[in-house]
Amino acid sequence: MSPFPLNTKWLKLSSFKPKDNRAWLGVLPVVLVIAFSAVIPLMTVVNYSVQDILDFNTRYFVGLQWYQETLNDPRFIDAFVRQLGFSATVLVLEVPLGIAVAKGLMRAGRAIPLVLILLALPLLIPWNVVGTIWQIYARPDIGLLGVAVNAMGVSYNYTAEPLHAWLTLVAMDVWHWTSLVALLAFAGLTAIPQAYYQAAELDGANKWHTLRYIELPQLRGVLIIAVLLRLMDSFMIYTEPFVLTGGGPGNTTTFLSQYLATMAVGQFDLGPAAAFSVVYFLFILLFCWLFYVSVVRVDE
Amino acid sequence: MSSRFFQQPVSLSRWVLVGYGVYLLLPLYWLLSMALRSNADIVGEFSIFPSAPTLANFAEIFSNPVWYQAFGNSLSYVMINTLLSLGVAIPAAYVFSRYRFLGDKQLFFWLLTNRMAPPAVFLLPFFQLYSAIGLFDTPLAVALAHCLFTVPLSVWILEGFFSGVPTELDEMARIDGHGFVYFFVRIFLPINRGAIGVTLFFCFMFSWVELLLARTLSGASTKPIVVVMTRTVSASGLDWGVLAAAGVLTVLPGILVVWFVRKDLVKGFALGRVS
Amino acid sequence: MAQVTLDNLAFRYPGSADDAVRGLQLEIENGEAHALLGASGVGKTTLLNLLSGLLAPTSGRILMNGEDVSALPGNARGVAQVFQFPVLYESMSVAQNLAFPLRVRKFDKAATAERIAYVSEELGINELAHKTPRTLTLFEKQLVAVGKALMRPDISLVLLDEPLTAVEPKIKWRLRQTLRKAQEDLGVTMIYVTHDQTEALTFADRVSVLAAQGILQTASPKALYESPEHEFVGHFVGSPGMNFVPARVLQVDAAERIGFRPEWASMDTQGSLRGTVTRTRVLGARGGQPYGLVTVATEFGSVSVRAALQVPDASVEPGAQVSVRIRRYVAFSAQHKVAEVELV
Repeated sequence: MSPFPLNTKWLKLSSFKPKDNRAWLGVLPVVLVIAFSAVIPLMTVVNYSVQDILDFNTRYFVGLQWYQETLNDPRFIDAFVRQLGFSATVLVLEVPLGIAVAKGLMRAGRAIPLVLILLALPLLIPWNVVGTIWQIYARPDIGLLGVAVNAMGVSYNYTAEPLHAWLTLVAMDVWHWTSLVALLAFAGLTAIPQAYYQAAELDGANKWHTLRYIELPQLRGVLIIAVLLRLMDSFMIYTEPFVLTGGGPGNTTTFLSQYLATMAVGQFDLGPAAAFSVVYFLFILLFCWLFYVSVVRVDE
Repeated sequence: MSSRFFQQPVSLSRWVLVGYGVYLLLPLYWLLSMALRSNADIVGEFSIFPSAPTLANFAEIFSNPVWYQAFGNSLSYVMINTLLSLGVAIPAAYVFSRYRFLGDKQLFFWLLTNRMAPPAVFLLPFFQLYSAIGLFDTPLAVALAHCLFTVPLSVWILEGFFSGVPTELDEMARIDGHGFVYFFVRIFLPINRGAIGVTLFFCFMFSWVELLLARTLSGASTKPIVVVMTRTVSASGLDWGVLAAAGVLTVLPGILVVWFVRKDLVKGFALGRVS
Repeated sequence: MAQVTLDNLAFRYPGSADDAVRGLQLEIENGEAHALLGASGVGKTTLLNLLSGLLAPTSGRILMNGEDVSALPGNARGVAQVFQFPVLYESMSVAQNLAFPLRVRKFDKAATAERIAYVSEELGINELAHKTPRTLTLFEKQLVAVGKALMRPDISLVLLDEPLTAVEPKIKWRLRQTLRKAQEDLGVTMIYVTHDQTEALTFADRVSVLAAQGILQTASPKALYESPEHEFVGHFVGSPGMNFVPARVLQVDAAERIGFRPEWASMDTQGSLRGTVTRTRVLGARGGQPYGLVTVATEFGSVSVRAALQVPDASVEPGAQVSVRIRRYVAFSAQHKVAEVELV
């Protein structure tokens, strides 16, 4: 831990950087790659979103018709509401839990490197394998969790019961991503100079005071990043629920990405799918703007 | 320090950590346990430990070309993506950290927005684009598609680290008479080994785990492991044991990568800026 | 307010081969302004942490008002600390920061407000009450930190760990002055830990000079300056420090070395110490004549002498051959003082 608070010593290098437009040569490769991977596809999507495409040669300009349809489509609205519910639930669970785990990690002493690796593990598992792990784990016939819960008297079956499917999905996401919050929070906590804790102890503060008046304020920047990352990523989630429940039972666990994927690839309804994509992306861009603003504030 | 301050009795935090550790380990244990069982063992009576542990499932994967080729396919696009991402991100990050230029803030922001794009949005256009230029069903296709997310992240992380390296280093090299290439390759990059390691970790982390784009852009000859596993699930007559063994094998590269960059891990997670 | 006693105090870090501090014996009066002066690495921080309760002594005791508090944590001892940089609750206003130590002890609002007003008045920070730390200068923040430490009316001891470190050099003196005045007015026992002798000597009633061997001397600033018990004290205190030459220069048998301050010697043809002037530094004028610090290279090393820079028969310039007459000295044997002598 540092003896001085690092944020008072952090120099803003940007004011000392020389101006040189030849620097564009350095970013040119990046721009080209991203232009190819992002700009062209996006333009295509926007292009499709305002057209009715019957086949390759027959297409009509329809303006904002698909947008209107999408925003009024009950299935879209359902998926959107489900998505909001899911994202809110996992955020509410993962952020406090991540902080609590990070605080525990601070006191783990020599075990810290080992625990760090353990925490990193769920983040390194292919997302479909995460789904598969939980699929096996939660099955009432061959899964450790499934068998254990049923043995306690609850007739647990995540493929048949929507509530069970939701609970299992949430448990899986918490298992998968809390580590990210915990690792970020841990990095933030280690930056707090010991003097703050000492001063609090001499003041007579208890653990809750320390959490509320020292740790959370100092973690503000890190937590904003963690929250926005989780919010965004949970909003884009596709693979894990797809593998675990396939969107079911019925469509009770079909979130936005899956709905879009079905539309785009399965049904070849390019126009509406494209409009949906644009709406989806715009919403996430809103989050992105919040994210950028908060990162800039952390820098100050 | 024999600090009385830190010798408080085992607290709530400690229990949370232990509890969460158990929560993390149980499903992983179960995966391993399934991987070591024969189908008869799995379908038969339920037991916490495998009654007759066997490596047959792993043998199946190593001997069946469908499986081991799939692993190879995945590894190849991950490696291409990592090399590509690092290759373009390093110069960009260097330039962002050392110079101001027209549109630099906007460019940086635009790069970040790409990280925020839902992969599902790109399904269709990627499919059409890559088919049109004949890249479909090649590892390069998936690698390029993944660049959409790994490149911005790499630039962001590397820039954070590069900004922390004092510009005196550049000047000293110039005064010593070294050209820029020499300075960059022999001095700057080695100093930033840690940063590059962390970035490598993140590139790997994203590319290895992603399914949607990998599946969409792969055809018959480049089927990655993520697809083979998913298709195994959707077919009837599930082979849980082999599936679990494949799962275990997909976790191993991650463990290896994190082991190599373990020291820089925490710093990287703080994205070089907050801590 | 408490009387503080260190009784043969020692501490060893776990896994270390040696004690970080040992054999510390010290008595500090109730309401005394005391300074612990020492170079970096001699154990100042360790001693500070022993006093604040962060560390428990390996042997020996710490007493406050006669009561053994060695096993108590800092909060139970009634200790407050001011750190090298301002340590405040960033999300609270200044008034809330000040109120915190009392709120935690369930003081009622009126009593708290009264105490805040009193301490704020004393330190001159009344106008800052509703501001947040982020908007304050480092100087103001450190004042608030001092205020927070003084809030509890029954505070036993306030520890200050190099509190001027973060403050700009130009206004260090203001913080020092404010601290001194507050200490006198409130009668709080304060222990000020520093490596800077100016801070120690201007703040404290008594100063303890700390070296690797332990506390070398505890005395008033004047006594430290004029009667150092140990050569190191003579050397460390004063700017420049004491000059040391072998005792035989003045034919003193009962000692090994003698030490003299620059102003205890003069340039005189009858001086027993000869040498060459290497440097002069003007300090001012006396009786119309410039005087200053003259550095003379002798066979025993360099000595500094305060003298007029123009002597009737000779000029005091680099290169000049001069002799130095020592009129007053302290004699040391085995680095310890054995005598103080003033020659006529």
